[in-house]
Amino acid sequence: MASFTAAEQLARRHRFQWWETLPWIAALAAFFAFPNYLAFGTQVLITILFALSVDLVLGYAGIVTLGHAAFFGAGAYTVGMLASHFGWTEPLSGLLAAALVAGAVGLVSGLVLLRTTGLTLLMLTLCTMTLLEQAANMGAAWTGGFDGIPGLSFGKILGLFSFDVLYFRSQYLYVLTVLLICFLIARTLIYSSFGQSLTGVRENLLRMHAVGAPVRARLVIAYAISAALAGVAGGLFTQATGFVNLAVLGLERAAGVLIVLILGGYGRLYGAFVGAVAYMVLEHFLAKAYPTAWQLGIGIVLVVVALYARNGILGLAETLRGKRRQRSAS
Amino acid sequence: MTEASSPALETRGLCKNFGALEVAREVNFRLERGARHALIGPNGAGKTTFINLLTGVLLPSRGNILLDGEDVTSLAQATRVKRGIARTFQINQLFRGLTVQENVCIAVAERLGVGGSMLRPAGKRADVIEEASRLIEMLKLGGDAGRRIIELPYGRQRLVEIAIALGLSPRALLLDEPAAGIPSAESHILLDAIATLPKDIAVLIIEHDMDLVFRFAERITVLVSGAIFAEGTPSEIAANREVRSVYLGTALDG
Repeated sequence: MASFTAAEQLARRHRFQWWETLPWIAALAAFFAFPNYLAFGTQVLITILFALSVDLVLGYAGIVTLGHAAFFGAGAYTVGMLASHFGWTEPLSGLLAAALVAGAVGLVSGLVLLRTTGLTLLMLTLCTMTLLEQAANMGAAWTGGFDGIPGLSFGKILGLFSFDVLYFRSQYLYVLTVLLICFLIARTLIYSSFGQSLTGVRENLLRMHAVGAPVRARLVIAYAISAALAGVAGGLFTQATGFVNLAVLGLERAAGVLIVLILGGYGRLYGAFVGAVAYMVLEHFLAKAYPTAWQLGIGIVLVVVALYARNGILGLAETLRGKRRQRSAS
Repeated sequence: MTEASSPALETRGLCKNFGALEVAREVNFRLERGARHALIGPNGAGKTTFINLLTGVLLPSRGNILLDGEDVTSLAQATRVKRGIARTFQINQLFRGLTVQENVCIAVAERLGVGGSMLRPAGKRADVIEEASRLIEMLKLGGDAGRRIIELPYGRQRLVEIAIALGLSPRALLLDEPAAGIPSAESHILLDAIATLPKDIAVLIIEHDMDLVFRFAERITVLVSGAIFAEGTPSEIAANREVRSVYLGTALDG
């Protein structure tokens, strides 16, 4: 590493490293190793995608949001309502529609919200989500209101591969494929000049204005793309569970995804992967062992992370690796 | 269009009020092409406000700002940067978590208009990276290119400020107290850097360090309470009794 100049390092940064195959190898290994946990695994993959979408705005562009479930929910309801009202059950095109709707909601709300920063922005993202939640609650004719839309079934993927709530294996592989595609999109963005300018906004807004960057346009675009990815995650959720209800738009989901990112390490692309697996596996086993008090366990882990591993599990790993390198160098 | 005689940057009757407080009063100022011009004045004279007006951070209450003879008074900050006004800040405004190389690359990418490009990796923009490397070498920051800003001493960070501004390929460069916060033993590095700036760039420097001002400037404007108090060559300013009484004090007597 040290033998490269800074310019060469920058020129190499976007190249794939060998270890970047590990999450995908692990996901495939899990497919064969835990055939009884595939439905759970599918939920983990969906959470990874959702967390990845939040990382794009929070970790890279520095937009603090507490309402990203608005876009997850927009995607989930789009897929659910298309299937129940229009018989549009082809999964891939359903996801595309989810992405478009959620992206449009992100674009419009972003144009208004991203005039603000800090606490005001945080509150406004929360308001957007609450408004959507209330709309879903009141528009019962379309959304099923409080009960949501249960018992959805979906057609074959591209008319070829059977896909249903009970086809755990094909579902897992389907969600994994969509995650891979969305991940490649996010990764391309992050290593592009656009992505670099987003980190610029995060690091110093004043300076970004002073170098002549159209800051707000960049933020709105990033917000809309992130919303579209969150919408895809929501659409996958509806397809995988066969139902959609108000919980997809709730604060619990919006806060949960933040916990996932903090746990894994935000602004790190792979933090979503590590965080989602850590959080959901922990939740799963804690809930099994202490059905009434499992949230206490999550709380304790979060306190420890906040105190000793500010940059999450990945940040901790980076620190340890840095220390080991220093030791071997001296 | 552009007149051959028009200065790089000019203000006509520029006024700015914050409520009852007048921070710029009828400022008629010319920064000639390729000028080495200093703006001095006591604290609170409105020097930084003047830079903020020139760059578009603040909008004037009255008056006009002309860049190469064209009125830019109503243009947004980003547009003015594209037209060729770049600045450094009195207090460093850098991308602190990023490396020196990345800091300069972000500025160069914006100038070349590729900052919004989403598909091609930033690492494949050889033109951006090479231009940034050239500026980093020019300011003798080569050894620190791979280090993050937070790892650099303050004086080196000041040079990154200038590298970023130069990355915007300005026609008018506004340096807001570039030597502020640098130990005097290191300020010669900064002076050398400023001395080697391309001659076609008009440079306006705000500075309290009179040694630096008198070594650098070919022309000096004295700002007091938001208005131009005096203007002239360094020797004229040094000889001006009124300027000495309001600002220079006895510093030049010895």
